[in-house]
Amino acid sequence: MNLRHPLLLPVAAIIVGLALAGVGLFRAAPLPLAAVPPGYVALVNQKGLLMSDFIAQTQVETSRSFAESTPAERSKVLREMIDEELLVQRALVLDLPETTNEVRGSLVSAVNAQVAAPILAYVPSDAELRAYYEKYRQNYTGPGSMNLHDLVLHIGGFENADQSPTQALADATEAVYQLRSGASLTYVMEHFGFVNSGRMDDTEQLDFAVKLHLGDKLYKTAAQMRDGEVSDPIPDTDGMHILVMVRHEFPKVVDFSAVRDRVYLDFRAAASSRVTQENLNLLRSQAQVLLAPGQSE
Amino acid sequence: MRCRGVKRAGSVAEAYTNAKVGVVQLVTDGHYRAKVVLALGVVVAIGVVALARAHLRTDRMQERLLAALPDAVAADPALVRFAVAEAKPLYARHCAACHGADLHGNAQLGAPDLTDDVWLYGDGSLYDIERTILYGARAGVSSTHDEAEMPAFGLRGVLSDSQVRSVVQYVLQLSGRPYQVEAANDGRALYFGVANCGDCHGPDARGNNDYGAPDLTRNVWSNGGDPQSLYASIYGGRHRIMPAWRGTLSLEQIRALATYVYAVSHPPDGQAGTPGGAT
Repeated sequence: MNLRHPLLLPVAAIIVGLALAGVGLFRAAPLPLAAVPPGYVALVNQKGLLMSDFIAQTQVETSRSFAESTPAERSKVLREMIDEELLVQRALVLDLPETTNEVRGSLVSAVNAQVAAPILAYVPSDAELRAYYEKYRQNYTGPGSMNLHDLVLHIGGFENADQSPTQALADATEAVYQLRSGASLTYVMEHFGFVNSGRMDDTEQLDFAVKLHLGDKLYKTAAQMRDGEVSDPIPDTDGMHILVMVRHEFPKVVDFSAVRDRVYLDFRAAASSRVTQENLNLLRSQAQVLLAPGQSE
Repeated sequence: MRCRGVKRAGSVAEAYTNAKVGVVQLVTDGHYRAKVVLALGVVVAIGVVALARAHLRTDRMQERLLAALPDAVAADPALVRFAVAEAKPLYARHCAACHGADLHGNAQLGAPDLTDDVWLYGDGSLYDIERTILYGARAGVSSTHDEAEMPAFGLRGVLSDSQVRSVVQYVLQLSGRPYQVEAANDGRALYFGVANCGDCHGPDARGNNDYGAPDLTRNVWSNGGDPQSLYASIYGGRHRIMPAWRGTLSLEQIRALATYVYAVSHPPDGQAGTPGGAT
């Protein structure tokens, strides 16, 4: 063998390289694990259950240290953990994140919680809290309240069965004029055929309760009225309404010192929202999202 | 002088040329070259065998380290030595930034001293330390330590500024340091009253390792124990984070780190506090 041949070494290197490549290409896939690797207590479809989790779960379920638990107790815990793992694996096979809203919600919450966890370590200063309060002071208002009469002129009812909507509106407009001119409520009700709608009970109620009772349409008008004010006629499903405000306590912005606990919690919630949104922005920047023709987001 | 100089330079060049020729002759001598190749081959083979042996031994030790229950690891000096050696570079890379290169913690970051025998969570067993490394504290995973956080009593308006200062005086009293009697008495009333500190720290102020509520009588502080730091803790609260390392580090690495921290905090002579004791 002539070691001095100039092509000998390159040829040998090529042969070795090809042999290695061949082994790599045609070698069978790694065999599944036949034994539980150290650090795990079980393998379920090749997915390991941590020994540490097993110890923790046993201690939680038995309220004793792991060393004090009996073999029967450990077996029970292990069986439950394997069952749970099987069901989790089944959920993935069934693609539950794709089809089940609760699973999707849990996954979203878990990711957001993980992203937001570090941000909550930040302790804001008093100045930062106050600045946040000033910026969002409309969120820190005490509840308003009101006491009002809600009169209705039914259209097509037994007392006004033959009255057209146009006529009802004309009557209501006249009633409003008389009320604003000082006529008594009783007189106007008797004269024009208005009745109490029954939605309000002549007591002072918090804004949200008034909104609930009157409905959005009437509440929208009531929320703007001042003490003693009479509304314009408001057509609704059951007839023509007139609102007469007796007393209206408007919502007031609460002083910072009274709401600083809420401000603190809101500040942290806002910080969490911000960081979860940043996470979403990052995910979007790395994702390929295609929209069907005609769709937009 | 000039001639002598030229002569000396000529001698050096001559000697160099002669030596070079000699080496070339030796290398080009086929017999000698075969011997050199053989010797190199033997050296390489010995190196490969030694490396393989060391690798196999490491694998075996890693397997033993993980296969044993945590308490059994703590009782095996050979495993502890192996784990400490494995853990030191890991600690330097992943943990030292917060807990310090000397493991004595960082009050600015609220990272506890790992060399003492005071534990926020659990009782300092190797198992408890490993759980904390696996899942962290307030790390946003369900197995993490997240049972409670130190409320921001001042920021949230539960306590006024002067009330916070009174509670600080009471904590100074609890931890056996000089305090102002009148303010400490007020602080004690607040501790058991509106602030309800005993709910987490206990009526005896000895803390609760389930909640991660520190023992206020030991005078050991993760966030600093001077009056100013205590004020900051009570006024602004604390929500310290430790990452969950599961998924980032292997189980073997986590076990090694837990063993390292255990060894440092449980030295054979019982004198916790010296990281050198684990070496």
